[in-house]
Amino acid sequence: MTYVALANITLGSSASSVTFSSIPGTYRDLIIVAAGTSVSSADDVRVYYNGDTTNGNYASVQMLGTGATAGSNTFLTAGVFATDRSQIIFQIMDYSATDKHKTLLSRSDRPGATVQANAYRWANTAAVNTVRIQMIGISFAAGATFNLFGIAS
Amino acid sequence: MTMTLIETKTLGTAAAAIEFTSIPQTHTDLVLLISSRPASGAIGVILAALNGSSANFTSRQIEGNGSSPNSGTSTTGRVGVVGDSGDTANTFASSKVYITNYTASTAKVISADAVNETNGTTAYQILYSTLWNNTAAITSISLTSTSGANFAVGSTVSLYGITKGSSGGVVVS
Repeated sequence: MTYVALANITLGSSASSVTFSSIPGTYRDLIIVAAGTSVSSADDVRVYYNGDTTNGNYASVQMLGTGATAGSNTFLTAGVFATDRSQIIFQIMDYSATDKHKTLLSRSDRPGATVQANAYRWANTAAVNTVRIQMIGISFAAGATFNLFGIAS
Repeated sequence: MTMTLIETKTLGTAAAAIEFTSIPQTHTDLVLLISSRPASGAIGVILAALNGSSANFTSRQIEGNGSSPNSGTSTTGRVGVVGDSGDTANTFASSKVYITNYTASTAKVISADAVNETNGTTAYQILYSTLWNNTAAITSISLTSTSGANFAVGSTVSLYGITKGSSGGVVVS
């Protein structure tokens, strides 16, 4: 597997979202590694493509372990960030294809509270050229890192 | 290429631990790909000691075993499944371990996915979220089994470094 580093950012101040745009369509998959904390409490993280922030165009399913219980739900989320150390690894498959909805698998780690795996779909066949990583209600804290890689086929 | 093989270790004789030392500090993240089987005994979990320390770990897991899922916690550095010596012959357990920002002066979060392979008896798929609450840069990793058994001959661990960067005109905002 060939990783090509495409972009990265370390937040100098808190931000509710990070957007990667002008992504070339020359790779097979995209991987984004996000690590850090939120400014307050725990909040879900969503992924939006090409400026489409209509939640109804997305769907997800999650399995989640709290350390006490294992469960599953369909609340729209690709992971969680909290004030304790958190990270999410997103893999977006076939992002430049124009004949399929876009699927994403993510692993979300918050060792102090939850372990998650999520499957996430954008009901759109357009090639992805912009990816926005969005906290629902609060912000990523300063110091959070976001690294984008292209995976060549 | 920004995913670089640092070192692969393949056991020619059974060993209680598999270790990587003098890990270069030039990458952003580390990945361990583990193919393992115990030389004896029942199923074990792979534990990581970092910089020689097995303290200050917190771990959560979700586990599927073919019947009901469950979740648990640990204060050890759980990062994989070593397998069971009773697993189907010639099958090895597989674990993938991702350590972000391993040189940063923050606590280290480890994401790990693991599965053992066997026919006819219970097998496990386990996801681990593990925290090493230590701000030191990681310079060494030692892997052992909770069962105390040796890793069997043929067990293999590859350590990769992943390096962030920018190319292709991608804009970040």
